[in-house]
Amino acid sequence: MILVSIEKAEAAAALDDIETIVARVKQSRIYRNAGTMLILWGALCALGYVLTYLRPASANLFWAGIVIVGTIASLAVSVDRGPVTGRYKWRILAMLALIIGFGLIWSRLLGQMGWRETAAFWPTVFMFCYTVAGLWFGRLFVVLGIAITALTIAGYFWSGPALTLYMALVEGGGMMLCGFVMRRA
Amino acid sequence: MDVPNEVIHQSVRLRIMAALTALAPNEPGLDFGRLKKLTGATDGNLGAHIAALEKAGFIDVEKHFVDRRPRTTVTATSEGRKAFAKHVAFLKSVIGD
Repeated sequence: MILVSIEKAEAAAALDDIETIVARVKQSRIYRNAGTMLILWGALCALGYVLTYLRPASANLFWAGIVIVGTIASLAVSVDRGPVTGRYKWRILAMLALIIGFGLIWSRLLGQMGWRETAAFWPTVFMFCYTVAGLWFGRLFVVLGIAITALTIAGYFWSGPALTLYMALVEGGGMMLCGFVMRRA
Repeated sequence: MDVPNEVIHQSVRLRIMAALTALAPNEPGLDFGRLKKLTGATDGNLGAHIAALEKAGFIDVEKHFVDRRPRTTVTATSEGRKAFAKHVAFLKSVIGD
């Protein structure tokens, strides 16, 4: 009887061990894929903010270009990381369209925002999505979302006319940094 | 009734197989450093267990260079996946799941 109970305990411990390892591998895979995306979008955002600082009159054009380039690159990276089904592609596109659509409703239609509010608004929308996603997909997303949101709010109030450069560093740099951390996690 | 797999049952080898089979067959395997982190084994210990699993035909080991640095990538073979699945079934049968 003792032998049976030891065997049961041993088997249960082995199954727990397997479950833990599988969860860690899956988490690592999520972080690795998300890390690549964060580095990509972080670099694009940093570029967008610097260009906006240099040529504010052309900001809309720059950001439209960045969204298009980023979307194409995101799909290309996804395809490179394994078979991407048509359904998955559409989900990526639909997710971006929904977030951008929501943002446009507020920034262009209901919000009556100036450049400063707009520069602070978009990062907080995306970071809100990261924070919520992090409740399911890993705490690093929550840390990223809350940290960049807090720094964005601080920059909105205290960075003066250098807000766009500040955002290049905070949002672009923060996303890239988090991306590198995720890829190593 | 299912029977235990003696090669896989050892705890480090069980962890190696659990990690490798968590990946889809078409995904690239795990490198040595990642496996070391996941299993908590030392370099020598992990190397010995990888060699045992490779000898049993449960994993493939590929050595290559990335940025001029040697890298060892390990993947589960289809035989290894089947053996691991059978071993998990055995463990579940023991606990009466």
